[in-house]
Amino acid sequence: MTEPLIALQHVGKLFGDGLVRALSDVSFDVRPGEFISLVGPSGCGKTTLLRIINGLITPEEGSVTVMGRKPEPGPDLAMVFQSARLLPWRTVSGNIEFALALRGHDKAERRQRALALLGAVGLRDFADAFPHQLSGGMQQRVGLARALAVEPKVLLMDEPFAALDAMTREVLRRELLQMWARRRMAIVFVTHDIDEAVYLSQRIVLLRPRPGRIDEVVDVDLPEQRWEDDPRATPAFAALRNHLWDRIHAMARDGEALEELAGAFPIESIEKPER
Amino acid sequence: MSEETVRAAPGTVSVAELEARGRKRRQREGTLVLGAQILLGLGLIASMYVLNATSGKLFMPRPDDVLAQSIKLWSDGTMLKALGESLTVLVFGFLLSAVTGSLGGAILGGFRPVSRVLDPYVNALNSTPGAAFIPLIIVWFGLYTEAKVVLVWNAAFFPILINTASGIANADRELVEMGRAFGARRTTLFWNVMLPDALPSILSGLRIGAAISTVGTVIAELTMAQSGLGGLLAQAGNRFQMDKYFAVVIVLMALGTAITAGLRFAERRIGAWRVTT
Ligand SMILES: Nc1ncnc2c1ncn2[C@@H]1O[C@H](COP(=O)(O)OP(=O)(O)OP(=O)(O)O)[C@@H](O)[C@H]1O
Ligand SMILES: [Mg+2]
Repeated sequence: MTEPLIALQHVGKLFGDGLVRALSDVSFDVRPGEFISLVGPSGCGKTTLLRIINGLITPEEGSVTVMGRKPEPGPDLAMVFQSARLLPWRTVSGNIEFALALRGHDKAERRQRALALLGAVGLRDFADAFPHQLSGGMQQRVGLARALAVEPKVLLMDEPFAALDAMTREVLRRELLQMWARRRMAIVFVTHDIDEAVYLSQRIVLLRPRPGRIDEVVDVDLPEQRWEDDPRATPAFAALRNHLWDRIHAMARDGEALEELAGAFPIESIEKPER
Repeated sequence: MSEETVRAAPGTVSVAELEARGRKRRQREGTLVLGAQILLGLGLIASMYVLNATSGKLFMPRPDDVLAQSIKLWSDGTMLKALGESLTVLVFGFLLSAVTGSLGGAILGGFRPVSRVLDPYVNALNSTPGAAFIPLIIVWFGLYTEAKVVLVWNAAFFPILINTASGIANADRELVEMGRAFGARRTTLFWNVMLPDALPSILSGLRIGAAISTVGTVIAELTMAQSGLGGLLAQAGNRFQMDKYFAVVIVLMALGTAITAGLRFAERRIGAWRVTT
């Protein structure tokens, strides 16, 4: 077996001086070149996990290693955010060059690579436009191009398509799959969308909330090159999505049970007194 | 049927046509606005005549007397000399406050501990009316140009400082996190993300500072050794030469307007990426 690229062991994260527990005992590995999705209801700590892997925050409990080391923002990692997060005062190409400059590429090379990447996401003609002149979907593509430009070993994606319309989302999913097939970096992909997770990934980590922890890790044994043979009409795909939905409904029932428990207590002690 | 598919859809307009329409509309609007402005100006001049006729020339000078005085003051060099003196104070005071204010603001905005320590002091000094410092400035720096420059600096420093500091401290956190995620260090983040993001706020601080500098210059020239346009103003006022007084006021108005317009222009140039096309 190959060494895991990313290893999380018993990771726990607390916020607000320990008052909010965001994650509890999360352990999983990501293998080199693997496409893995993190799925779960809102607030279960998906973004927090990505930030931990990126080295933007450190967990209070457990250990995280990326390529055998403590994670640190740097040349091996790149993030695509839910909103494009482009520098509005830089041109589209300037935004990509910004990330390349951080990797120490020299000036002439930066421009060339930026243009090449923009070509790859179909935005070469917009190299010298400013972000506000682009539609949301186009901006998101620039964010993707920026992350790909640095040729990361690990690509972290935080609901990158959630803010887009269904058509653009579908196009970008296919492009992402093709890009991944060509470059084979590891991808950690966060989404709310079960179908999207099954369609894209090789493995799905299902999380449950309060505190965020792993519910189940599901292997997606569907043939690759899914942009050619769309698996979404196959029985295997339906079985996987049904299984995931069952787990999520079970989570919701647990949640209801908790609410009922809360209902057993006198209301006054829970609600804030008026005025 | 085939004929119909070839022809452009009815109601389609060419780009050139649209541009021409837009240009025409803007032109028409421009003419209307300018016309209204000229009318208003003529109205003001007319009301000056009316006030002059009803209340006497001490209350309101006749516009043509103001014009005659202007011509005289400009041609004998009085106005030019005064303008030069005022501009010296204004420009030095403003540049000094721009440099110190934006540097200080960058430090306050960029380093939280510094701003937490200095916050009450900055607030206290900023809340003190600028005029309260005039006696102190006179004792420390005298009555001449240096003292006036210090007064202007003191007046314009705080708006620049505070705008710069808040612009940098409130720089878009998502963009800062993006920079960090791609491996940017503190200095890179500062120069490439926080500072550009704060630029609009810094520039509006500079614009406010410049406007205050003009006020500060006139106050300094009135309260310290009389000089420049402020001195000329005091001279005319003390002798009830209202036509001369108005001639100076007009120059001050033009000066203030020119400075603000210049900075607005700079703001627009630098913030070109914000303008939606
Ligand atoms: N900086 C922070 N300070 C305090 N609490 C935080 C912070 N970041 C996250 N949390 C808390 O941690 C939990 C997990 O947040 P996180 O943003 O990781 O969820 P998520 O799974 O990404 O949710 P969503 O799907 O809505 O984006 C939430 O309860 C949130 O309130
Ligand atoms: Mg999130």
